[in-house]
Amino acid sequence: MSRLFFREAIARAISEEMQRDPTIILMGQDIAEHGGSYAETRGLFERFGAARVRNTPVAEAVTVGLAAGAAAAGLRPLAFITYVDFLMIGLDPLVNYAAKLKFKSAAQLTAPMVVKATAGAKGQGPTHAQSLDSWLMNVPGITVLAPSTSGDAYGLLKTALRAPGPVVYIDHKRLFPLGGEVPDGETLVPVASAAIRREGRHLTIVAHSYMSLVTIEAAKLLAKEGIEAEVIDLRSVWPVDWDTLEASVRRTGHLLTVEEGQEVCGVGTEIAFVLQERLDGLRVARLGARRMPVSASPVLESYALPDAERVAASARRLLQRARQDDVAVTT
Amino acid sequence: MIRKLIIPVELGDVEVRLLDWLKSEGDAVAAGDALLEFETDKAIVVVTASGDGVLRRVLFGSGDWMKPGDVVALLSSTADEALPAEGEVGDVLQVTFDVT
Repeated sequence: MSRLFFREAIARAISEEMQRDPTIILMGQDIAEHGGSYAETRGLFERFGAARVRNTPVAEAVTVGLAAGAAAAGLRPLAFITYVDFLMIGLDPLVNYAAKLKFKSAAQLTAPMVVKATAGAKGQGPTHAQSLDSWLMNVPGITVLAPSTSGDAYGLLKTALRAPGPVVYIDHKRLFPLGGEVPDGETLVPVASAAIRREGRHLTIVAHSYMSLVTIEAAKLLAKEGIEAEVIDLRSVWPVDWDTLEASVRRTGHLLTVEEGQEVCGVGTEIAFVLQERLDGLRVARLGARRMPVSASPVLESYALPDAERVAASARRLLQRARQDDVAVTT
Repeated sequence: MIRKLIIPVELGDVEVRLLDWLKSEGDAVAAGDALLEFETDKAIVVVTASGDGVLRRVLFGSGDWMKPGDVVALLSSTADEALPAEGEVGDVLQVTFDVT
């Protein structure tokens, strides 16, 4: 294992995959000589050259559209969207073309492209700091991956660059300042493989991306009160590792979902619904952003988003409500 | 007088990687001397002393990962002062940070 900055894990994954597969090309704003908005493509232009590492204008619809067309024609593009908010402009080629190509062509054509986008709030305000994972998981044909560690940034991006259809790989601004262990050999993290970050028997808390780290902090707070929370990091938002999630909630009987995006039609809402279908009597709660845009004001930003205290409070409320229900049933 | 050099807590929730010491244990340090370089996720930071002293003990080496608040080194006013245990040093060495 080596300890790497998040950006270094990304660069290593891309470099190894570009070496292995000559059809991989990179497209995005400032990714060539500048080395990427988060320094995550540093060294790739020098190593692989201008034909494979291409700067694009500030025109995300064009970037994603070109990537989708190039993918259908036999290349494997990796398109960089600096802020996931601007993927909105590229949704038409991604959703209407790339995601549907396999279905429309009876699998004669595919679009093996990856969109790498960065989500999350860190002071950038209402249009540069959103989390739109649930929008993307709603689209048939798109795989949505979301690492929370350097090791998963590496392993999931390698998987994305070998996947048959469009993948949106979403990382988070608050992960870039952190270091993490990355295997020295080539190790891929498969799709639909959630990671149990902490074991516990009283409730299961499912999170992804940066909220996995927040949830681990919340679990430490709860442990001081004798509440043992099992923390599961989805890693793959779609497809979901239902088996790992179901096995956990069968042990704990309680599920709290945590995400940085909206609760309404959110990732957690979908997960809670499916797990309730699988397990009668499962008690669920969800926590996401308050129903407001992310603000550029640090006070309002932190008010809008879950933190460890709010996650812990939601866990306590879920367990308390369940105990009251049990009392009501027995009396 | 013994002072400690720390990674500034104002950096927030980050980790940094020590690149190189530009001074060695035992070296005299003058105000304006560069002491070490560390790396954040997006910048190289050179740490420069704001006062004179002697670099007495280095607590992290090249390639080590550090967090804000970590004590990186101990410095003294003169070369022969006895060093107390690390936890007993209360004064923080004033330094400047040049980001490139």
